[in-house]
Amino acid sequence: MSQANGPFVLVPDTFIPASPWEAVGGDPALRFDDVVRRYGHHVALDHLNLRVDRGETVALLGPNGAGKSTTISLLLGLLRPHGGCVEVLGMSPRRAVAQGRVGAMLQTGSGTGLPPGVKVASVLQLVRRLYRHPAPFELTVERAGIGALLGRPTHRLSGGQAQRVRFAVAIAGDPELVFLDEPTAAMDVESRRSFWRMMRQFGAEGRTIVFATHHMHEADQIADRVVVINHGHIVANGPGATIKAAVASRQLRFVTGQPDERLLDQLEGVTDVVIRGTGVALNSLDADATIRALVHSGVAFRDLEVTGAGLEDAFMALTGCDEDADEERKR
Amino acid sequence: MSGLLAFARFEVLRLLGSWKFLAITLGFPVIFYMLFLRDENAGKIVDGAVPWRVYLMVSMCSFGALVAALNAGGSRLSAERASGWSRQLRVTPIPAWSYVGTKLASSMLVVLPVVALVELVGMAFGGVRLGFGTWIELTALLWVAAVPFAGLGIFVGFMVNAETAYPVVTALMFLLGYFGGLFNPVSHMPHTLQTTARILPSFHQTSLGLALLDGRSFGISDTFVLAAYAVAFGLAIAWKHRVEESRGLA
Repeated sequence: MSQANGPFVLVPDTFIPASPWEAVGGDPALRFDDVVRRYGHHVALDHLNLRVDRGETVALLGPNGAGKSTTISLLLGLLRPHGGCVEVLGMSPRRAVAQGRVGAMLQTGSGTGLPPGVKVASVLQLVRRLYRHPAPFELTVERAGIGALLGRPTHRLSGGQAQRVRFAVAIAGDPELVFLDEPTAAMDVESRRSFWRMMRQFGAEGRTIVFATHHMHEADQIADRVVVINHGHIVANGPGATIKAAVASRQLRFVTGQPDERLLDQLEGVTDVVIRGTGVALNSLDADATIRALVHSGVAFRDLEVTGAGLEDAFMALTGCDEDADEERKR
Repeated sequence: MSGLLAFARFEVLRLLGSWKFLAITLGFPVIFYMLFLRDENAGKIVDGAVPWRVYLMVSMCSFGALVAALNAGGSRLSAERASGWSRQLRVTPIPAWSYVGTKLASSMLVVLPVVALVELVGMAFGGVRLGFGTWIELTALLWVAAVPFAGLGIFVGFMVNAETAYPVVTALMFLLGYFGGLFNPVSHMPHTLQTTARILPSFHQTSLGLALLDGRSFGISDTFVLAAYAVAFGLAIAWKHRVEESRGLA
């Protein structure tokens, strides 16, 4: 694998914090060169190029099905690319995982991601033993805030608690690089806030963190840099504030009896939910899909209003090409 | 290497720490042995040259091995796949094969005490008397012959989802037990069922043990069939594992 990486950087990396890991070598934390991944005839990643430097915290932002999970699976060696090259810490993803330099929190759907019927403490002890140089047990417990959960069996954890334990599992090996795939899915607002506090602290120690999310504000607040993915393409790449201004997603406003934030948040395309009494405002990267999902969800709503520029328009403004719009029309 | 050992230890401790698992795997064969033993036929000669109580001890060892292997592999594996734990392990430093490998090893490890316990019960309550060497031989033989069951357990765990795993495992347990002649000697079965029994691994495991005790020559055909089953389940697991891995699911 050649070291050519210059031409693939879409936006110059302006944020390179001092990091203890930088001394390890000059390779970037990760690099995607022209990566293609298909599922049957569906192209999940279409010639993707991406580079993340050591010490960066990067958000992969995009609606469901955009290619975020595929990207993370490739970075962990769970999937192999059909074209192009993926490198993590200057080596193959599998090798980086085998050396214990990478930690991950995967999407688990309805599962806890933990072995059933075991106490949290023994799971954490086991995971530590799988690594050659794990972080001290107490430190991991403290970082993930799971001190009160250690004696509890894994099947008696709430969604937010299980998520915290999975974060502990991800960082137990003291990895240089952490991948988090929608880590706050199924968390309520309060646990979401404390989770990101925890994460930011962990990232501040100079580690590289890459997380996938479909929440614009999470990406904006937590990450040094936001990479927007849609239909397997990177459509925007830069500091959160820039992206936020450029990708003015559409806003859906309506009135409903008893708004359920968790449900609304899971609707396709939704990046942000604001509820004031019975009034709901949703920011969406795909207003059409969100409306379809809203109707399908059975939520009784009225006075629906859609405002703001479409994502495709914003991407065009940002990237200066209408490739995506063309593709959309072809479908 | 120390990571693998830690994982294996974790697996075995989990199995032995589960009351449900212990109750099922130790309870079924022992209770069945005691129930069927009260039959007035206890001393009657069946299937060649062994008394009913000896036949029953061997067949319940087989049944115990079957129950242990299917429960250790099947239901647990599918539950762990559903929870996402097996996938989480894939992003730790232990090698890709170690999940399945450790499952197989721990299934085999829990089979051994089950076989030994049924033998103890046979000795204590069934009045089975064998030479020390024969006990050891019988135990080793029945243990090694349980490899196909361990393979079957893992394969079932890969094929079915968490909701259906338990009923499937229970059904397999009793189907292989009944039709393999573990509850009732094959010679007591109607002709068609006798033919069916001869294609099942459970029949051949018991037959292998009985061959040792009744002085028949070593069960070559039993060994052959069991080995074929072990290879077949091994290949099936390898195939399924590969498919899942190419989809990023294993």
